[in-house]
Amino acid sequence: MKRLHYIVLASLAAIAMTSCVSDDTDMDDIIAEYLEEPATIELDFSALTEPTDVPVTDEDDPAYNDYVENTSWSKVININFSGDAVSITGTVPGVTVQADGDHVTVLNMSGPVKFVVSGFTSDGSLKFYGDKRFQVLLNGADITNPNGAAINNQGSKTMYVVLAEGTVNHLQDGADYVMVDEEDQKAALFSEGQIILSGKGKLEVLAVGRGGIRSDDYIRIRPGVQLYIESSALDGLRANDGIIIDGGAINVETKGLGAKGVRSEGAMQINGGRLVAISHGDCRIGATEDGDADTTACAALVCDTLLTVNGGDIRLKATGDGGKGLNAKQDVSILGGSFQAVATGTKEDKKPKGVKVDGSFAIGGGYFYTYSRRSDPLEVSGTTTVATGYHTYKKTAKALVIAY
Amino acid sequence: MARSKREQLAGLLLLLCALLTPTLSLADDAGLVATIEASHKFSKKLNAGFEAEFRSRNNFRTADRVGLGADVSYKLLPWLKASAGYTLLIDNNREKITYQDDGVSYNNWRPSYWGLRHRFNVSLTASYKVKRVELSLRERWQYTYRPSKTIDNFDFDEAMWEDHLVHAKGKNVLRSRLQAEWDIPKCKFDPFASVEFHTTRELEKTRFIVGVSHSVKKKHEFKVYYRYQVTGSSSDEPNIHMLGLGYNYKF
Repeated sequence: MKRLHYIVLASLAAIAMTSCVSDDTDMDDIIAEYLEEPATIELDFSALTEPTDVPVTDEDDPAYNDYVENTSWSKVININFSGDAVSITGTVPGVTVQADGDHVTVLNMSGPVKFVVSGFTSDGSLKFYGDKRFQVLLNGADITNPNGAAINNQGSKTMYVVLAEGTVNHLQDGADYVMVDEEDQKAALFSEGQIILSGKGKLEVLAVGRGGIRSDDYIRIRPGVQLYIESSALDGLRANDGIIIDGGAINVETKGLGAKGVRSEGAMQINGGRLVAISHGDCRIGATEDGDADTTACAALVCDTLLTVNGGDIRLKATGDGGKGLNAKQDVSILGGSFQAVATGTKEDKKPKGVKVDGSFAIGGGYFYTYSRRSDPLEVSGTTTVATGYHTYKKTAKALVIAY
Repeated sequence: MARSKREQLAGLLLLLCALLTPTLSLADDAGLVATIEASHKFSKKLNAGFEAEFRSRNNFRTADRVGLGADVSYKLLPWLKASAGYTLLIDNNREKITYQDDGVSYNNWRPSYWGLRHRFNVSLTASYKVKRVELSLRERWQYTYRPSKTIDNFDFDEAMWEDHLVHAKGKNVLRSRLQAEWDIPKCKFDPFASVEFHTTRELEKTRFIVGVSHSVKKKHEFKVYYRYQVTGSSSDEPNIHMLGLGYNYKF
């Protein structure tokens, strides 16, 4: 009898001891993918070495007039703010310069004129009228306008904003814009015409009322420019007809609800330089004219038409709810450079995406990385074309890397 | 029974375990339910006992439950018995996976976890003997209380581990069992069969059991049985084939 006891008990013990295998699904590798941390993207103010910026010399080249060097600037007016007064020196026939306190208004009916701007004002501005292209040489200027744009070009021609080498310049708008009938002022630095940024100085733009830099035409940024835009209100850098970045060290940081770090309503082309755009805002929830809910998510970069990346170092990050690293409304083509887009926000009102492309997406060179913590890293509505020749193609639950 | 026959019985039990596993349906699970019981008859009417139970699932490979219980029964009438009991259940709760709307992408994963439950029951059993077959009907009200517990949950949306509170819950179940036991002359093995329904607001489980019991010197009782448990459509648990082994020491 005892022997039978032992056999039965030993059998039960043996069966119990072999019942120690978990029947859980093996999730280790999957969860490891989900716990993957994104590439670090922070504002980068380090020095940037860039190739020599060679101006276009062919007058038939559409970009010819974007080079300030291709224009003779013999007519010069100096505007110097000294805190409580402004001194204006130099006269140019056909150019009227008036000051109301530190608020300076220029009517330019002459040809190309260079305005050399320097000094500090906490309640001043520069406003330009006239359909002639002109140059604003920021030579250590610090302009804050509590009631609107710090620099406002109401003319439709090119405004060359040149940063004098070695200088630090600061432009800031105010929280309450005082509007003038039939005039726009959409940003701390605003122009109805093109804005061409060049030079080897620094420009800091602080936007608290509206956007940072905005053109109702297009914006070109050339190598050597050191640009920092911080906006707690609307978009950091925005243009209606396109943005071309040939170079420069650009940092853009936005904190407003639904705000975009960089937004190009026209075609955007990045050829060089370093663009770091970080958008921290959550969704802006409003209503359409029909009264329907209208929810707009923030994005580090929005391009409404074609985005082409030929070169440069692009780093995009959105941290707010539903925020996108890149939100492209049409096609995206990446042919070179380094492109990184990260979305770490929540998805309460909108889905965050590292890269969202409503058109097609094509890559044929460079380095591409996208990460989204709470959704697919890359969402393409149209076709996705990845040219052969890449040495790395790695897709995980949260990230995608393609490198040539 | 001769010693060699007893050894053959034990060997047969082990063989059953080995043979059952590969022959089961892929859709169904299989496991073991093993019980060791000690009981004492205080009088002709009063009986009390302790029981330890072990269950496995996942084709005998995963521990499912450990239970420790005590019960007391009293014969109200020669054909009617009342009983009450308490069992401490230590359950290995199955993992739970939820999916996104697309039905493919993960939404949440809660790994399996061990948790406690307290179970109380009262029963009435009516018996009726027809020749050598004893028919019995047991109606049992069972109340199980699960204390709250904080467990791990992986939220794929948020891509993070988070604490998930399993709320305390009480559950009432009516268990109705109809059983037949045969007393075969000159045979030391007594076959039995039963069907049991677990009902809440709907039928949750049905258990079909066939087996034999064997007593040695009226002190030792062994049972071996096959149990097939069919779960209701609202349950996440699969149907399960179980090999039952029991030993009762009467003192």
